[in-house]
Amino acid sequence: MFRAILATQWKWSRGMLLASTCLAFALPLLSMRAADRALAESDARLLLGAVQSFGMFYALCAALIGLLVAATAWTSDHSGRHVYALSLPVERWRYVAMRFGAGATTLGAPLLALTLGALVAIASVELPAGLHAHPFALALRFALAMLLAYAVFFAIASGTKRTAGILLAVLGAIILFEVTGEIIGIRASPFLWFIERVMDGRGLFGVFNSRWMLIDV
Amino acid sequence: MTDAIQTRSLCYRASEHFEVTDLALTVPAGAVYGFLGPNGSGKTTTIRLLLGLLRPRSGEITVLGSPMPAATPSVLARVGYVPERPHIYPSLTVAEAMRFHAAFHRRWDSAWATALAATFQLRSDARVGSLSKGEMGKLMMLLALAQRPELLVLDEPTDGLDPVVRRDMLESVLGYVAEHGATVFISSHLVHELERICDWVGVMDRGRLVAELPMQTFKDGIKRLHVAGAAGDMANAPFVVLKRDRSDAAAEQWIVRGWEPGMQSYIEGAGATVREVVDLDLEDGFVEMLRAARTPTTTEV
Repeated sequence: MFRAILATQWKWSRGMLLASTCLAFALPLLSMRAADRALAESDARLLLGAVQSFGMFYALCAALIGLLVAATAWTSDHSGRHVYALSLPVERWRYVAMRFGAGATTLGAPLLALTLGALVAIASVELPAGLHAHPFALALRFALAMLLAYAVFFAIASGTKRTAGILLAVLGAIILFEVTGEIIGIRASPFLWFIERVMDGRGLFGVFNSRWMLIDV
Repeated sequence: MTDAIQTRSLCYRASEHFEVTDLALTVPAGAVYGFLGPNGSGKTTTIRLLLGLLRPRSGEITVLGSPMPAATPSVLARVGYVPERPHIYPSLTVAEAMRFHAAFHRRWDSAWATALAATFQLRSDARVGSLSKGEMGKLMMLLALAQRPELLVLDEPTDGLDPVVRRDMLESVLGYVAEHGATVFISSHLVHELERICDWVGVMDRGRLVAELPMQTFKDGIKRLHVAGAAGDMANAPFVVLKRDRSDAAAEQWIVRGWEPGMQSYIEGAGATVREVVDLDLEDGFVEMLRAARTPTTTEV
């Protein structure tokens, strides 16, 4: 059953996965390209700055891949109003788990590409003294970020129009609250407060906000 | 096990304006049960309740001897379902759709599926989304049959199909039933289609089961009577009066259900005379039954 679901997931997302895999392979190489000058001058501080400034692209790429794979996981079931999935002789939780697992499995392709890209990137440069390459740590962080983004978007995408409506209503209420607060001079932003909480190092999405360093001390 | 499907006091509220009320269905094992009703009468909702796709508000459902929706996965493994609207993933090819379906059904018969695809002239490399309505219907029927079900649940399977495709599909169903003794639960609003193949009929209207009886009884028992004289109240008659119309000052036209030869004497005992008994075809009977069910004064249908 899982293989059948995996085959459908692959079919629905293979184009997007191919593009993501190419992008994931290219990212570490591009990060080294961005650090060309620092590498040429063998300047450790400059190199670390260049590598760090490139870090957000890994986070963005991981989030984007998670989002796209999650979206493709449910599109076909949504279009058939889930009748087919519900009429299959399998418990609902098991079907959802298999759908989740199939999407998560396909994330292996961009992850592998990023690992290979990182290995190729560090093999092609000579690091200044005191600096080390961390391709596997970067790959692990990328895997966690992709998986987290995928899990969140998978949960959102699995919902009905009603769920989407509730989420939009909550978002609308927050925006309304902030706009009203701005007008009457209250500088409270629950949205920013929430973002700060979930994105800081100990927050749920902390992995996106941490150091994405292919090269570090 | 004598009944393939049984529901008791089944209730489901779909919206403020529509609910299935106090539904008591009995589908004998091995029967070809026609589930008749106009559009919007609750046939599809009932089928979804039977298959565990919807959760009832109250009541009991037993399918193939197991309680629903508690035993949904194990029951669905034994049920072939053709829904009202195409539900198969449109981006798959016919061959991929068959492989996907087969992965979930242990009793899948690959050889027969291939043979059915050839019979139905379905190209294995055709994309499901590009199939015509008739081809889509055939593919859904193929998937339902090749899993070798004990119960086939078909929700308006031939609606909108041309007569040739319709005949092909129904023949494949009847062939399967003849060979395996499976039960068929088929919903439709096309009365004549069910008349040819069903041995039981249940009639739904506005979320209620209006009648449930053997097809032959239904066909034989619906009559138009030309009655002379003024018969009194027929509430305790051995037949059911669906409709009484005064045709002229001295005569009435009645539509009755459950009529049997010899029942004229009951009417004569009530002071009237049966001048003529006319057979109604199934569609007329069906229409009159629905009209009677919708008339507030009718207490029993």
